[in-house]
Amino acid sequence: MLALRLLWRNWRSGEVKLLAIALALAVTVVSAIALFTDRLESTLLEQSNSLLGADRLITSNQRHQPEWQAEADSRNIDTSQVAHFASMVFAGDEMHLASIKAVAPRYPLRGYIDLSEQPFATSGPSVERATGIPPVGEVWVDSRLLPLLHISLGDSLQIGEHSLTASKVIVSEPDGSGPFSVMGARIMMNWADLAKTQVIQPGSRVEYQWLLASSPETLTDFITWLEPRLTEHEEIVGIENAQRRLQGTLKTGRRFLVLAAVMGVLLAGVAVALAARQFASRHVNQVALLKSLGVQAARIRFLYLAQLVSLSLLAAFVGLLIGFAVQELIAVAVHRLYQIEMAPARLQTFVLSLLSGPVALVGFALPSLWFLPTVAPIKVLRQDMPINTGAAVWQIAMACAVLILLVVVFGRDLVLGATVLVALLVVAALAALLAFGLLSLGKKAGSQAGSRWRLAIASIQRRRSASVLQVVVFATAVMLLLTLTIVRTSLIEEWQVKVPEDAPNHFVLNVAPAQVEPFKQLLDSNQLGVEQLYPMVRGRLTHINGELKPEDTLNREASLTWSDTLAADNEVVAGLWWDEWPASATGLAGVSVEVEVAGRLGIELGDTLTFSIGGLQAQAEVASFRTLEWESLQPNFYFIFQPGALDDYSPMYMTSVYLPPEQKSFINTLLSRYPTIVVIELDRIINQIRTIVSQVSDGVGLVLLMVLLGGCLVLVASVNGSINERKQEAGLLRALGASRSLITGGVWTEFAILGFAAGIIATIAAEALIIGLQIAVFEVPVQPHFVYWLATPVVTSLFVAAIGAFSCRHAVNTPPAVVLREAA
Amino acid sequence: MAYMIQAEQLGKTVTTASGDLTILQDINLRVEKGESLAITGASGSGKSTLLGLLAGLDVPSQGRVLLAGENLGELDEEGRARVRAERVGFVFQSFQLLPGLTALENVMLPMELGGQKNAEARAKEYLAKVGLEARVHHYPPQLSGGEQQRVAIARAFACEPEILFADEPTGNLDSATGNTINDLLFGLNAEAGTTLVLITHEERLANRCARQVQLAAGELLISGAAAEL
Repeated sequence: MLALRLLWRNWRSGEVKLLAIALALAVTVVSAIALFTDRLESTLLEQSNSLLGADRLITSNQRHQPEWQAEADSRNIDTSQVAHFASMVFAGDEMHLASIKAVAPRYPLRGYIDLSEQPFATSGPSVERATGIPPVGEVWVDSRLLPLLHISLGDSLQIGEHSLTASKVIVSEPDGSGPFSVMGARIMMNWADLAKTQVIQPGSRVEYQWLLASSPETLTDFITWLEPRLTEHEEIVGIENAQRRLQGTLKTGRRFLVLAAVMGVLLAGVAVALAARQFASRHVNQVALLKSLGVQAARIRFLYLAQLVSLSLLAAFVGLLIGFAVQELIAVAVHRLYQIEMAPARLQTFVLSLLSGPVALVGFALPSLWFLPTVAPIKVLRQDMPINTGAAVWQIAMACAVLILLVVVFGRDLVLGATVLVALLVVAALAALLAFGLLSLGKKAGSQAGSRWRLAIASIQRRRSASVLQVVVFATAVMLLLTLTIVRTSLIEEWQVKVPEDAPNHFVLNVAPAQVEPFKQLLDSNQLGVEQLYPMVRGRLTHINGELKPEDTLNREASLTWSDTLAADNEVVAGLWWDEWPASATGLAGVSVEVEVAGRLGIELGDTLTFSIGGLQAQAEVASFRTLEWESLQPNFYFIFQPGALDDYSPMYMTSVYLPPEQKSFINTLLSRYPTIVVIELDRIINQIRTIVSQVSDGVGLVLLMVLLGGCLVLVASVNGSINERKQEAGLLRALGASRSLITGGVWTEFAILGFAAGIIATIAAEALIIGLQIAVFEVPVQPHFVYWLATPVVTSLFVAAIGAFSCRHAVNTPPAVVLREAA
Repeated sequence: MAYMIQAEQLGKTVTTASGDLTILQDINLRVEKGESLAITGASGSGKSTLLGLLAGLDVPSQGRVLLAGENLGELDEEGRARVRAERVGFVFQSFQLLPGLTALENVMLPMELGGQKNAEARAKEYLAKVGLEARVHHYPPQLSGGEQQRVAIARAFACEPEILFADEPTGNLDSATGNTINDLLFGLNAEAGTTLVLITHEERLANRCARQVQLAAGELLISGAAAEL
């Protein structure tokens, strides 16, 4: 209670306000970013899961066991089921090998089915969201099925022994790229109609999917229970591999948010540390007095600790509320702009955010305050007695440790945190040296200058260590802001480069060799550009150097191709491309393997790979490893063979095409003429990526604002440290006849000089840091940012001068008599 | 006879950049219970250092100090703090009030820290004794120098110390205010029967003590009854 009483008195006297604001800001930054990132991840997970139609799938060639269903029911897990199979469908004389999906009630557990009564509609008022599954006796179909069978909506089609009515076209569905979708147009039917068709017979090729949805914990527990009961024919499918393209974008976005968080917390941390130092210097006499009154050091430590912990909890609570409000604002904006309902943040994120207050206190404030109880009581009689404030190296080490802890806990990215920290320490050390040099130069220049300049330079020289410290702090703050601004801008530009406006937005598959030339001509006549056409066969990797390949990786058929030219976004990272590759000694054809798959499967250069293609075996020697740009939305292949290597395997061709929205109906023309061709509409995925980029970008904008606020707080805190001394000097100068304008001008000039020096250092440091980040973290091309080179020192100079003058206004404006009396 | 303060062969040497500097040497001093002692001397003669050693705020380089029979040299920092909390009060030249606390809170603070329950009532009583009952809620910057020192005196006496150390209590005050403060100090001292050790360079103030000693260059030059000196 006494500690709380003392805290209240300290609060009332304003001695802990700056510390509280700085702590609250630290928590605001941490909580806003942590909560937003958490919600973003949950939302994207939900969106990704909506592509599966569930949180997890169990796929098998048999229906799931009844006891699994009972166990899932007992755990309140939502379930549904789907049967995928290919079957000929008939309408009059027309037939087509369709990809059929029989769905049970409650499908989909995640995501939605969008339908239309207008073929090939992609959006607009004709598109409606399904509230259930196809009614018994009806089917929903892929638009391209209509021209393939020459039917319209409302007509009947025959599946096996059962006749069904095509009532609607499917605009979008979860798991649109099911196992048989490439083979034919989609038909979705009610599970209850499945038996009537009589197409599923013993030995039929069918894939059953058991859909599961629940909270992550419940699901993880259930999967743990289920896994030992699965046979080799059953497989658990999550979203890990399903959304690889989005993951790349999300990872970069997430790293950016973490970077923003590190910098935001660091700035708030510097403000906390400065406020704590100020608090400590004001309390030295108080502690000496308390000790002279007989209060023991342990009790003093306890009283201060109790006060500060209470303060940090209060500040953390306020910071959490503000942080929550800030990220809620973004979530509301996201909802308004993109019609995406963001998932709620998890409780643990709230708790961790709240705890970041005390943690920031321990890391940034306590090291500056730890010496307080050791102040000797004799200090009460001997004001000039020096105090041992503890080793600065420990204070810095403690701050770094806490920063890394926060980054690891919230960002889960140690490399990024450590990179930024090491860079900052180097920058701080170099900045101190540079600042010292710049201020020494200023001294010589100042001796030639007018009175305002002389006053400013004299003030800087008088407080040379403090001035160097201020320049370092200003420079660090500006550098962080600059880095964040530049990285944000260049990152968004980078994303825009990766997903350009005219990026291919449709994949065209299943183009027969005889259709290649007429297909190209059709595109040409419609003024549509065509990318490279890749021959493609489906095959499964079975053996590596004659031994069965590991079971847990790449267990499905992959698309195999051959090409003599390397795609622009592919890069050979090991081995040689065909133009340099010497023929294999074993006479085998060469194959180039995607580097990550090679790593996962333990494939080495020179290994012999065996593939099963339509029951036939094909062997090839590994000639090179390649990296791919998954975000590029170009056709990408894990395995590219030497030209001619797969000539005997009846390839079909694939490519990607950009269709402007107004030419969307070209799909109708294409499919009417070539009904066997399959078109995958990538434009929806592109829109999803753009939405995510916008979401992340909005979040970052707000975080940047908070970081800017942190920077201002650092400036105010550092100026406040010398405010009493400045008041005395101003009072004395004015008592000696100096005009107010001279003193004000001197203050403006002093801080403008400090700001200019800080701006120069910040520009150099930010460029160095950004180059490091571009190379090591974001993996984007290195680019200098000339526009900031001049602008930063000038803007920093003006900004710091304004903040400095604002902070010193009381010292300048207070009548000299009052200042001198207060100082007495 | 049991002395309230006993200093034997007391010396203080500090290490400076230019070598060791002796501030005090061979100080022998005894103060009886209830006695008032003035320590006088020029600036830099070691008065404040001596007061610090006698009150246990600092440790001597040589010799020992017994405060109410307890050998301070045998106690650690925490032990000396306990002795000060139980027996000692201070009045400082620079008042040493906490600017963020009101007059009442400044007086209450040592009692609150000592866990006394009636701190507020006692603080008000002593502020009334020094004539500041109307200014209990004022902050130090809102009080004159004399008023601030009166708050400091109320703070010192409210804890009912056995020994009061006063370091130039009127050094920052004009002569008229100084006299008022002195009257208050000696009046409360007489009323409470407190042992008083007063540091001053004012002869008039020193003469109000029962005994005085004079320091010069760290050595005790004269010791005797104030009237005799």
